[in-house]
Amino acid sequence: MAEFSWAPRSSLEKALVAGAHGARGIEAGVSLTEIRNFDLIQVMARRGKGAELAKATKARFGVVPPDAPKAVQTPDATLIWSGPDQFFVLSKGGKHTMLTLAPALSGPASLSDQSHARVLISISGAKARTTLAKLSSIDLYAGAFPIGAAAATSMDHTSVTLWRGGDRPDELAVFNLLVFATFAESLWHTMLDAAAEFSVDISHSEELA
Amino acid sequence: MRIVCPFCGERELGEFTYLGDAKPMRPVAGASEDEVFDYVYLRDNVAGETSEYWYHGGGCRAWLKVTRNTLTHEISSVEAAAGAGAAKVGA
Repeated sequence: MAEFSWAPRSSLEKALVAGAHGARGIEAGVSLTEIRNFDLIQVMARRGKGAELAKATKARFGVVPPDAPKAVQTPDATLIWSGPDQFFVLSKGGKHTMLTLAPALSGPASLSDQSHARVLISISGAKARTTLAKLSSIDLYAGAFPIGAAAATSMDHTSVTLWRGGDRPDELAVFNLLVFATFAESLWHTMLDAAAEFSVDISHSEELA
Repeated sequence: MRIVCPFCGERELGEFTYLGDAKPMRPVAGASEDEVFDYVYLRDNVAGETSEYWYHGGGCRAWLKVTRNTLTHEISSVEAAAGAGAAKVGA
């Protein structure tokens, strides 16, 4: 019988080259970091069970799930709005997986493991907003898109889930985006092109922003 | 053209897909052939206010019912179509 190796690999494994990219001789205006090895579960309320799901989520996480485009931070997970009566649970270290979430939430909701179906990219730096402005029609300025704001939107005709995480230690804004794994490489190249003029610092990390 | 999604807020047209007229209602089982023909093929070519189904596929993936004036492109209302979001059903 044929032997298979199912080692999970990032969709950006080839496209992502850590280090400097784009304009030289200036300080990097954009940091692009792919975050790897996360657990991502999509939770969608069953018909008419939105309120029941909110209650079950509160019991499990101590917070109600976002009912508007927002991301809610708990001590060990981020709940990100992805549409009416549905949200993502983003975490790491196996704390919130299908195995642990299904008993708590599968009564009022359908759960679907998206851990290897999405790529998570974090964009920050002094020119992060200017870069994203080339790709997105969402107003990302601080007043319009504060920490915890989220949007289900499109960039370069690709559906993405975008939200603003906590600021960096240097107080610059951090934007996180989840993109379908098979579209990630295409969007990655588009983002590199958009950011190249500002000089890009590329890396990958295992830490959720 | 922009559409104000009741879930996401104002978004550009590129995030939406047009389905068509929201007026035709599926005939009851056992309806006459004429009624089914009308439902499947016949559409009004409205000059003025009309209701349409739009899909926010580039965003929250909800179906929307948009009231739009075909003469001015003015959108007077956008609401979630029946079935958009579990909580909306039967609400």
